[in-house]
Amino acid sequence: MANGFSGPVAQIVDNYLDRLKKGLRGIPAKDQEDLVKEIHSHIYESFRNDPTPDEVSRILKVLDKLGEPAAVISARMPEAMVTLGKKKKLPFLILAGLLIAFFGVPLGLGGLSAAVGLLIGVLALVVSFYIVAFSMILTGWLSAIILIIRLFVPGFLDPWMDIYPLVPDPTFNLVIYILGALLISALGFGMLWLGSRMLRGIRFVFRLLFEKIKNWRKRKTAPAQ
Amino acid sequence: MYYIVSGYNMENKITQLRKGILELAILGALSRGRHYGYSLVRTISGTSDIDLTEGTIYPILGRLAKEGLVQTEWVESSQGPPRKYYTLTVKGEEAYRTLGEEFRKLAEIVDNARRASAPDDESADYQVLSVTKETNNG
Repeated sequence: MANGFSGPVAQIVDNYLDRLKKGLRGIPAKDQEDLVKEIHSHIYESFRNDPTPDEVSRILKVLDKLGEPAAVISARMPEAMVTLGKKKKLPFLILAGLLIAFFGVPLGLGGLSAAVGLLIGVLALVVSFYIVAFSMILTGWLSAIILIIRLFVPGFLDPWMDIYPLVPDPTFNLVIYILGALLISALGFGMLWLGSRMLRGIRFVFRLLFEKIKNWRKRKTAPAQ
Repeated sequence: MYYIVSGYNMENKITQLRKGILELAILGALSRGRHYGYSLVRTISGTSDIDLTEGTIYPILGRLAKEGLVQTEWVESSQGPPRKYYTLTVKGEEAYRTLGEEFRKLAEIVDNARRASAPDDESADYQVLSVTKETNNG
């Protein structure tokens, strides 16, 4: 990428911008590009105005003043996502969630347990949805391939296959089955597409919930005097 | 049960305090004319030794744009990559006036509160009922 710098300085800038881009996944592409361009411009101007003679120390100083990509991103992304990404707490959160789900009710965390249970339920739903989608694609393609082979090699896999004749002409019958198999895999792909929509929706709902809980917790912890 | 999770955190307090005031400073700088990100940073932090993470102004600028308080424009620069300029909209000017006035009043409150004397209880006949202990969970 031509970023207006050269040598090791260019590499350092590229590395920073790459990390920025990675952190921006999930916001609209146009906003992403815009922000990356803007930060690039900032780095350029800051670099141009800094008097440090050694270029590498200068660029490091510039980026240090700018802050980690997370600082640039934070308010653009829903807060929950950034903190999760930044602090790498996810495994801990999952463990905590499971503990609360199993032992929460006797400890008096009824409401929270219900929320975590709901979360796990939704997760199971998502997982099973994807398993169905993938198996539809897999079986669709496999049967299509076997049926196409049968088209050219009559009796292929005959001991295991018993194809019900929908129409009297065997070739036409096979073609109908192939189309059916392809349709099933297409449905599987359709489910994948729907799934990405669904995931976005679910993520959105949980993010809202998460923010609500956090705000509520803040209010509880620090009551206004 | 939630008290364990979040303790007292000075860094958070400073961040919270800065967020709103930085926004006001940005609006103030823009009320004097258009700026691009880096020139804003220079204008705002240039006059003091405040330790400002420069990147934090971009999320604020993004939000101001979304709220329609500023408008943006990419302009070719004679040297280097194009700059994204920010201008205050009419709505932004209004917001700056209102917020600036509010800030002035709040600063006054803080200052007055600092000067005011505590209630004079020495003469009153009172009894200590309970004392909260100083805790350190941060």
